[in-house]
Amino acid sequence: MDQAEKKRYEERYQAEKQRGEKFFPDIIYKDLVVSFALFLVLILLATFVGVSSEPPADPSDTSYIPRPEWYFLFLFELLKYFPGQLEWVGTTVVPVIAILALLLLPFYDRGPLRHWRKRPIAISVMSLAVAGIVALTIMASITTPPQEEFSVVASVTDEIVIGQDLYGLHCVECHGSEGEGGEIVSVEGLEGVVVDPLNAPDFMYTRTDDTIFNVIDYGQQDLGMQPFGKAYGGELQRSDIGAIVTFMRYTWDDRVEIPQEAAAAGAVPTLGPDDIPSYSLHVEPIIRRTCVSCHRPNRENNEYLMQTYDEVMNSGINAPNVIPGDLNSNVIRMILREEIEAGGPMPPTRALKAEWVEIWIRWVEGGAPEFPLESTDTPEPTPAP
Amino acid sequence: MAAKWISWLDERLGLTTIYRTILDRKVPKVNWFFTLGSATLFLGVLQGLTGIFLTVYYVPHPEQAYDSINYIMTEVSFGWLIRGIHHWGASLLVITVFLHMLRTFFYGAYKYPREITWVTGVFLLLLTLGMGFTGYLLPWNQRAFWATTVATSITETVPFIGPFINTALRGGTELSTLTLVRFFSAHIWILPALVVAIVGIHLYLVVRIGISHVPAKDE
Ligand code: HEC
Ligand code: HEM
Repeated sequence: MDQAEKKRYEERYQAEKQRGEKFFPDIIYKDLVVSFALFLVLILLATFVGVSSEPPADPSDTSYIPRPEWYFLFLFELLKYFPGQLEWVGTTVVPVIAILALLLLPFYDRGPLRHWRKRPIAISVMSLAVAGIVALTIMASITTPPQEEFSVVASVTDEIVIGQDLYGLHCVECHGSEGEGGEIVSVEGLEGVVVDPLNAPDFMYTRTDDTIFNVIDYGQQDLGMQPFGKAYGGELQRSDIGAIVTFMRYTWDDRVEIPQEAAAAGAVPTLGPDDIPSYSLHVEPIIRRTCVSCHRPNRENNEYLMQTYDEVMNSGINAPNVIPGDLNSNVIRMILREEIEAGGPMPPTRALKAEWVEIWIRWVEGGAPEFPLESTDTPEPTPAP
Repeated sequence: MAAKWISWLDERLGLTTIYRTILDRKVPKVNWFFTLGSATLFLGVLQGLTGIFLTVYYVPHPEQAYDSINYIMTEVSFGWLIRGIHHWGASLLVITVFLHMLRTFFYGAYKYPREITWVTGVFLLLLTLGMGFTGYLLPWNQRAFWATTVATSITETVPFIGPFINTALRGGTELSTLTLVRFFSAHIWILPALVVAIVGIHLYLVVRIGISHVPAKDE
């Protein structure tokens, strides 16, 4: 605005003032009406809606779905459009630009026109921004999943056992059954990538549960770790991820002691000298920890799946891989790390523990039974996993 | 007698001058949208008052915060009302600040000579959001804890200073007593002090310059 425009504005304003009203009582009256109405609304809200009660903070319950105050939802929603390495654009660049644009508005929008019809650009930019904020807020409130019932939160022992299974299924193919890491073999796209161990103090001491949770939830895509959280296109619920983190913490962090029951529940039963191992009691837990991660659908495995007894016995293009009573079965030779027609040593990266190799051998030798044999007349019902 | 007292006070305090400059002044005829600023002010004052009452019982410590809020809700007479008003007032305040900003924007009230009024207003908007952010953690419940965990971890992605902001907010690598006390202190001392100072400037300017008039079609 130049001097002439300023002068014109001042004259016009003085004229409006003369035609106007008194601050007291005319304006004050309106202000009080509105304030009083808002006060009533607040009392009604406090009385009839109240403040919803929430369980106390539990830093170990990582399955809780974080929910910011509603007026910050749009910011969180916005971040979803800047995944991975671009995140800082959403957390820094966009907000800084928005704040500067607001702060400096009177200094770059200096035209003399004030009626909204005369300011098409300013009005449309602001309207779009407001529409965007409203839309993002609505989207965020629709897509945030409902809170899982907190009464079903499992005990630490249950979490560890569940976490172990999930780890066995989803993570072993890259991180190894003991979290030992090493070179990835036979995972499409990542062959030859070397993964650092998760089971070392170096890792466990320097990562909080939160950090681990977040890595599993949204991955480290630049390093080859895909996101597992449902919100980021993965297969795992937040409670699943929480269980995996609990399992990892209790199993690999030597500063925390694993509860006895959890250790017992997660262990593969030991064998007496004359016992014949069974699939349900011995072999299945081993498979779940060391094999299924690759031997499941959509993996490179010569179609040998290992998620049920039937699959273990009969599937695969080189089937049968387990021949009851025959120690030349493919599985046994491969577990003993021979290179045969059906494939190389299994698991590819690292030999099974000696006790587990023994279980495999004695199981095949003993006829590869599905259930424990001793009590053949009354086959013991196997507890559901 | 009363008149004598009043004129004695007036001589010393300048009451008539205050009355004339603040209350008994001419302003343009405006509409109901112009009440949003005073509505914000009213809600802000109400937040201050209810907040002061809450601090009488609230304990900013992870082991007692949750229980102290429970105590306010169940034992203290009208504690539920005070907390309810403070809780809902915060949301309403954010709405009115935002609408007040839109009102001044759409009427072009940020232009000459009210530029500084606008700039102080933007700071007030940010401070209001800051009050909401810091207040959210204080009940130390699941919702509070996890929302703040996520929000503070997001600051880590800010280039260069992200990790610093994160530890500065948390007072360490994880949410702890330090975090809670920090947020408490920001919520009841630091941010309110800034708000009061800036609202002072904001209102001074509003009175000094006068409220803008509703722009006509040819303006
Ligand atoms: C397709 C292969 C693959 C799968 C499956 C996989 N990861 Fe990863 N993961 C990686 C790679 C590659 C990295 C990055 C290299 C590294 O950190 O050593 C990584 C990194 C990690 C890290 C971060 C390590 C660090 O140093 O910060 C954690 C924690 C992790 N993965 C946990 C898991 C868990 C838990 C699962 C199972 C839900 C899983 N990963 C499944 C490939 C995989
Ligand atoms: C705590 C927050 C705030 C309080 C208490 C407050 C209070 C007020 C009051 C009482 C008025 C005069 C009446 C009215 O115009 O409604 C006013 C005017 C004004 N406010 Fe605010 N305000 C706040 C935030 C903001 C924000 C966020 C902005 C914009 C970014 C802003 C910009 C303005 C402007 C430009 C005026 C002058 C309006 C005119 O003269 O027409 N204020 N404010």
